[in-house]
Amino acid sequence: MGNGRELQILHLYPELLNLYGDSGNILVLRKRLEWRHLGCTVHEVHMGERASLTGIDLVFIGGGSDREQRIVCDELQRQRSELAAFVEDGGVLLAVCGGYQLLGHSYLMGNEEVRGLSLVDLYTDRGSPRLIGNVMVESRIAPQPIVGYENHGGRTHLGARVEPLGRVLFGNGNDGKSGQEGCLYRNVVGTYVHGPLLPKNPGMADWLLSRALERRGDTGELEPLDDTEELAANETMRKRLL
Amino acid sequence: MGVRSIVATTAGRAVRAILHGLMHRAGSQLPGRMALAIDPQVVAHLRHKARAGSVVVCGTNGKTTTTNVIAAALEAAGLRVLCNRDGANMLPGVASALLPSHTADWAIIEADELSCIHILPQLRPTYLVLLNLFRDQLDRSGEIDHVQDVIVQALAASPTTTLLVCGDDPLCMGVAERAQMTGTTVLAFGIDEDLGLPGDRVPEARFCQRCGTELSYAYRSYAQLGAFRCPSCGFARPELDYRATNVQLGQAGVAFDLACDDTGTLRVNVSDGGVYLVYNLLAATALALRAGVEPATFQQALDGYDPGNGRLQHLVVDGRPVVLNLAKNPTGLNQNISLMLADDRLKAVHIIINDEANDGHDVSWLWDVDFERLAGRPDVCIVTAGGLRANDLQVRLKYAGITAQIAAQVSDALTRADALPAEDPLYVLTNYSALWPTKAELEQRSR
Repeated sequence: MGNGRELQILHLYPELLNLYGDSGNILVLRKRLEWRHLGCTVHEVHMGERASLTGIDLVFIGGGSDREQRIVCDELQRQRSELAAFVEDGGVLLAVCGGYQLLGHSYLMGNEEVRGLSLVDLYTDRGSPRLIGNVMVESRIAPQPIVGYENHGGRTHLGARVEPLGRVLFGNGNDGKSGQEGCLYRNVVGTYVHGPLLPKNPGMADWLLSRALERRGDTGELEPLDDTEELAANETMRKRLL
Repeated sequence: MGVRSIVATTAGRAVRAILHGLMHRAGSQLPGRMALAIDPQVVAHLRHKARAGSVVVCGTNGKTTTTNVIAAALEAAGLRVLCNRDGANMLPGVASALLPSHTADWAIIEADELSCIHILPQLRPTYLVLLNLFRDQLDRSGEIDHVQDVIVQALAASPTTTLLVCGDDPLCMGVAERAQMTGTTVLAFGIDEDLGLPGDRVPEARFCQRCGTELSYAYRSYAQLGAFRCPSCGFARPELDYRATNVQLGQAGVAFDLACDDTGTLRVNVSDGGVYLVYNLLAATALALRAGVEPATFQQALDGYDPGNGRLQHLVVDGRPVVLNLAKNPTGLNQNISLMLADDRLKAVHIIINDEANDGHDVSWLWDVDFERLAGRPDVCIVTAGGLRANDLQVRLKYAGITAQIAAQVSDALTRADALPAEDPLYVLTNYSALWPTKAELEQRSR
């Protein structure tokens, strides 16, 4: 599977984890590779199928409703060791919203503690109120602030050796208090900036693609694209929120 | 009616008179809000004004049109109607609609899905029409599961209400099954044939409401609506009480035969719209027939129906045909895309996306719309993006393979459309908060 600079992308349970247009992220990764004549193949994993991580460069986990997220969590539990090996080998993984919560040791569904995948040293409990609204985050992996929308009841707490994705400039982030948003561990990015976060944050998309190429022994360098529209959308929100 | 409700009603009417008479404003919420402030149960006290009964219409898409068509049909039959025609669909809007001093035969009420829980226990309507449930404004409404729970609770609080439900929608049937268990009478409507339409995206309800197995379909009409069946537990589209067959869809509009056990078959046709309108008209026809409207009278009302409310409204601006329509969620936009692609003229398309409170602040849903269907079409000549989130829309379109310019005003979109011959249309699609200002500007320029 996969020769040269063509990337293999694994999209986990797209029919269940697509609450907020999450598939937009896959479209952005695919187009940004195509525009550079790099190409990619997107492998979708559906319910009842076992995800094969052999030859995979990048994994995406979106967010679902509570009910759907629970189904996925049970399903992924059986593939935990393979996912953990992928992460420890420097595999690139993007997880948003509910998917981000799955990365940790546990999260709460109602009052029930659900065991997560323990791919990253973090856990999620709950708080009130639900944290809903526009969000902006300064991160070392993106040249512009990451802008988007968050909508979560969970409060996520990072282990001592886990770096946050960035610092909250507007909105709430992990817990509404620490000023931290998301997690960054090896090449894993978890974030509450939900749904289609890559379209308005092309630098972040390219960071993920570069890391995936590097892991293959490539330089990871990407030909620049004309991001006029993406950056205008980013700038519009940045100006509005500051 | 107690003293408190009399005072409430009088105060509400006074506010209404001031708004109408002195300020020339329609005042769809304020009179009701005033009345409710004095008597929170004022709707319960006013419900008897509708002597024959009342109808509440809810569902994600098509509420306003269905409500207006039912009201028009009943009026054409000589019945007096109280109705929140302007779409003020929360409890204050309902109270406002019931305030006028005259009595009526029927109250025909559009209701926001989540407001049903406040409206139904007071109004105790004869019928609740549930058209469809789609993902819409998650930041405001919550997930669809929550919306379903609320409607089930509302029906439980109004046990005499009959539910007229879209049997083709698994999400609506999920509500109906639960309501039936607590004693609600259920009637179902649906399209009883395969329309052979190309399948669009099914963003939700791919899984059984009872057991979670993926549903299978004999056919789908759009989104998750169709002849569904769960292969493992038997959850399925019910026997339909009102069935549409011989459905015709095209540039000439929509037409279908409505068959039911009571009145036999009647042909319904309207000169506009797509498959979604078949469902709205099915519900409206069924309701009108149950209220005693003659089939011929219903069709006459439909022929004369022109609400001018920005729902598929046709105007001519500087000699150019303009079609204005509301599109506020993925399914609504996908249906609008189908409508535009059924029109084989060259066309310009202007899409306006705002993120005000009544639009939902989160525009992530743009990525669930199949804009890709507009890409590479030689008839889709010009696409422009407007509204507070024009930039987000422009990026979405870029990744769909469509180059769109930003047109901050609808007048800019009209100017850009000048590159097309005057007989070719401009489609203007807008989400909620931009609808009224856009409509006002287009209407002014069409004079």
